[in-house]
Amino acid sequence: MANVLIDGLKERISNAIKINQSIGILLPGSNYSDLAQAMFEYIHSKPEDAWVYVTVTKPYDTLVKQYDYLSEAKNIKFIDCISRAAGILRSDVNCVYIESPTMLEKLGLEIMNTFKEVDDNTKKFLVIDSLSNLIIYNDPDIVTEFFYHIVNRTRARDIHIISLAIEEEGLEKHLNRLIYLNDKILKVRDSFI
Amino acid sequence: MQKEERLMVEGGLCKTGIDELDIQLGGGIPTGSTVLVVGSSGSGKTTLCMQFLINGANNGERGVFFTITEPLFKLTKNMEGFEFYDKKLIESGMVNLIDLRIISERLGLDTEKYSVEDASALLDILRDIADELNVKRLIIDSITALCYRLQTPEMIRDFIFKLGSFLAAMKCTTLLTSEVPPMTFQYSQYGIEEFISDGIMFLGDLERKGDLIRTFQLVKMRGAAHSRTKSAMSISTKNGVELAPLLKSRE
Repeated sequence: MANVLIDGLKERISNAIKINQSIGILLPGSNYSDLAQAMFEYIHSKPEDAWVYVTVTKPYDTLVKQYDYLSEAKNIKFIDCISRAAGILRSDVNCVYIESPTMLEKLGLEIMNTFKEVDDNTKKFLVIDSLSNLIIYNDPDIVTEFFYHIVNRTRARDIHIISLAIEEEGLEKHLNRLIYLNDKILKVRDSFI
Repeated sequence: MQKEERLMVEGGLCKTGIDELDIQLGGGIPTGSTVLVVGSSGSGKTTLCMQFLINGANNGERGVFFTITEPLFKLTKNMEGFEFYDKKLIESGMVNLIDLRIISERLGLDTEKYSVEDASALLDILRDIADELNVKRLIIDSITALCYRLQTPEMIRDFIFKLGSFLAAMKCTTLLTSEVPPMTFQYSQYGIEEFISDGIMFLGDLERKGDLIRTFQLVKMRGAAHSRTKSAMSISTKNGVELAPLLKSRE
């Protein structure tokens, strides 16, 4: 059953990103781990593409322990916004650490710097995991401004974005404003299972 | 003349080599300008100045860095962590690092307190070194520490105006660092330094949810149609100083 769900998610992501520059995925918290698994499996199946994965949800270290193939993956670089703030000090070739998730300008710089190292002919993708967690650490207005900047800058450089948002009570107003900046919205529902 | 060097001389602009800053400057600092780089401790003044010097040297412009705030071994140790820092440029003499306290000692000056004559002698030595090395880029880090050694406000004023005249007569582009208290919007300790400067770069901080975000603002640059927008400034070992648009939403 779990495989059916994950395969279904991968297919939806694959179809949507083929025809849209940016997609937003809105999901209940209970589906987060399935979606993360689907995302990583999808990325793993695309070794010819370049991916930058911004994590504000789980530390890089936790992700590579959970999905061990990620530590060797050549097509994905991580930007970890939460480890440093949590006092985890480590360095990894595959990961850039941001001091704090409040340093959104620095995050923007590191995203663009990471993509600068990718050659022009490679397809580029950015995953933001997640907008809802950025709102936990920042004022919603500033996250919206950050996301506008990122969407515009990535559009100008032909980089696709997949942004995740976990539905939470009280955040709907802000998430709706953010998520609708995307070209396409995927809503993951429990009923999908 | 190398291609890069020719590019820098054309139009009389001195490229900082920091892309976003050169864009804000409209191409670079007008050659021969004296620019005050203002900020509190830890704001990135020394790093920005060193990057300016190294980038110039990489493109054939010789430079000199006069330090009075920290000993050379400390300065070089701090800089060695940055990828832009190239020891070979120091060894080849394209970048010259000089401790003004050592010069003072050699001149037989009291290194802690300067008289008017001491300060004049020091200025003469600075000019001689800059002339002899034929430098195009000059840094004094910091003008605040230099003036601190003068004993009266009159002496400080006199020294700063003399320094201004001496720098104006030189053909090199100069960055003077100026130390100010944190979270204040003043350009100098003595209130005169800005008047001898053609440009002012203000390095500040902004507090966001308890974290300090570095900021950069080009307040003034004579002879350049420059931006006055406040930017976020990042310092990393990989890229040195970088600027990004500051997010301005009300918090």
